[in-house]
Amino acid sequence: MNGIIFENVCKSYGETAVVKDLNMTIQEGERLILLGPSGCGKTTTLRMVAGLENITAGTLKMGGQVVNTVEPGARNIAMVFQNYALYPHMTIWENITFGLFIQKIPIEEIKARTEQALEILNLSGYEQRKPNELSGGQKQRVALCRSLVKQAPYFLLDEPLSNLDAQLRLQARTELVKIHNLYRPTFIYVTHDQVEAMTVGQRIAIMNQGALQQLDTPDVIYQHPANTFVASFIGSPPMNLLQGAFRDGALWIAGCRVNPPTKWHTLLAEHQELWIGIRPEQCCLSDAPMLHGQIEFVEHLGSQRCIHLRLHQDGQRLLCMLPADQPIPTGTMGVSFSWQHVNGFDGHVGQNIELPNRISHNYAC
Amino acid sequence: MKINSYRDWYWHILLLFAVVIQLWPLLFMLSTSFKTMDQIFLSTLNPLPAKPVIDNYLYVLKNLPLIQYIVNTLLIASSITLAKIITSILAGFAFVYYDFSHKEKLFNTLLLTFFIPITVVMMPNYLFISKLGLLNTPWGVILPQLADGMGIFLMRQSMRNIPKPLLEAGRLENASPWVILTRIILPLIKPSVIAMGIVFFINSWNDYFWPLLILHDKPTYTLPLALQMFISAEGGSEWGIAMAVAMLTALPPLLLYLTCQRFIMNTFMQSGVKG
Repeated sequence: MNGIIFENVCKSYGETAVVKDLNMTIQEGERLILLGPSGCGKTTTLRMVAGLENITAGTLKMGGQVVNTVEPGARNIAMVFQNYALYPHMTIWENITFGLFIQKIPIEEIKARTEQALEILNLSGYEQRKPNELSGGQKQRVALCRSLVKQAPYFLLDEPLSNLDAQLRLQARTELVKIHNLYRPTFIYVTHDQVEAMTVGQRIAIMNQGALQQLDTPDVIYQHPANTFVASFIGSPPMNLLQGAFRDGALWIAGCRVNPPTKWHTLLAEHQELWIGIRPEQCCLSDAPMLHGQIEFVEHLGSQRCIHLRLHQDGQRLLCMLPADQPIPTGTMGVSFSWQHVNGFDGHVGQNIELPNRISHNYAC
Repeated sequence: MKINSYRDWYWHILLLFAVVIQLWPLLFMLSTSFKTMDQIFLSTLNPLPAKPVIDNYLYVLKNLPLIQYIVNTLLIASSITLAKIITSILAGFAFVYYDFSHKEKLFNTLLLTFFIPITVVMMPNYLFISKLGLLNTPWGVILPQLADGMGIFLMRQSMRNIPKPLLEAGRLENASPWVILTRIILPLIKPSVIAMGIVFFINSWNDYFWPLLILHDKPTYTLPLALQMFISAEGGSEWGIAMAVAMLTALPPLLLYLTCQRFIMNTFMQSGVKG
């Protein structure tokens, strides 16, 4: 009922298209993350849902109703802004209850809702303070509190954790999921941080240059990226993309002949030039290596080490994550990988050759 | 502040010179108001009275309906200030909050009004007021000054400095434009509104030219007009008394400015206008 449907939604400023032909369905009560690099159109998409940006073309439906021209206040939305947008002249109590008084909610209920929200977010005792007397983390919690008391069916968050330090972010991510579980609003969360996206989201919509690249669960996006952009955007370090060619019934990567399982043969025959995507953590040292390379650099990451290899023959780069306690040979290194975790992408358009459609719409809430 | 280099010294000497030039007329007005006619017409330049007398002030207080003039001036200056504040806030809000066609053109046209001198609009305004039968009334002075381009500009600039998400948060709470203006915007720009109001008040208080055209009867006079009664074009001006009236006239706005100087400076620095 309270889902959100984008049908061919476009947004442009003059000649510049910011969101291009967006088709997406967000289920009621779902936690959806809009993820992408800066300038990809994710915030504009969120603002269109909020009614703060007009839609240039297409239809936006919320709760089954077309809302293209509905005023923001009439959409029954709670929103947390990137810089929290707390009114500096009002106390925390006034900030939180401002919207409730406008809605003419009885004072007893306002009190009950606010006290409950303050308690959930550990803000009891701060009611009479002004926003400038609070730390960044507290301000962020006040902004959440203000949205929480509204009990709106739609909860929009625009990079709410971007101003917090790493420690607070970790804590806040858990709080956000808890808040969502309280009354399960339809939750749209904009971020450029993939860790936030993977941990908070039930589904992730990845955008680039105004277009939706993939909409799926975090697992599927990580294991089966829809295209080379998603493959290189998700994961730290990103997926290795190696240029390969299917010739004479065999796959050649960096001058090495590798033998894929038979189920790959039909796919490879259709895409003679392609990119082979291998996650760095799927690479391993092997006595019978598939690829050989020169070790250029080793990054120590605590429990793991990231090996930067330059492959023999054509000089392509390969990242390889190994456990910190595993001995690393000096000079050259042979690497193997399991075909189970390999993705193939068309060499020209970059689309995953295993996924029939460019955008998958799996939903597993 | 420490003065470190010769360059700083040059600047300070230059600024000191500018301050002396600015303050000289004020000092001379103050000194003249405490002088007798003999001292005023001495051929030597004597910035300070040899023997200060308060006769001029006593004369003004005894013979001039000073309270009446103060009430007249206060009524006119307050009405103009209030009207200008209201119209500036509302127009500034419209320019910031609403999107409408030709918004920028309209705003630029308003800015153009800065460059139209009073002498150009004087005649049409006078004829208009005359046709309305408002000559010789305070309303005739007030009516053409209900709005001010500079005020609209200042309010628009101040409102534009408010982070947009604050207004958007208000819109998402279903707050009406009136609630957004009064509950969110006005508390945030209060210092600017106060500063603008003070500038308007001082300007209206000191206004001489327009009231001179409109007000003819002595009981309707404002303080600056009372001043002219002691200055005669044919000679025989009573400078001591005139300066005492001028001093009394200048005192309220001067005190107001000194009290609220901080707001005024902040507002003009925010808007990028050099005062």
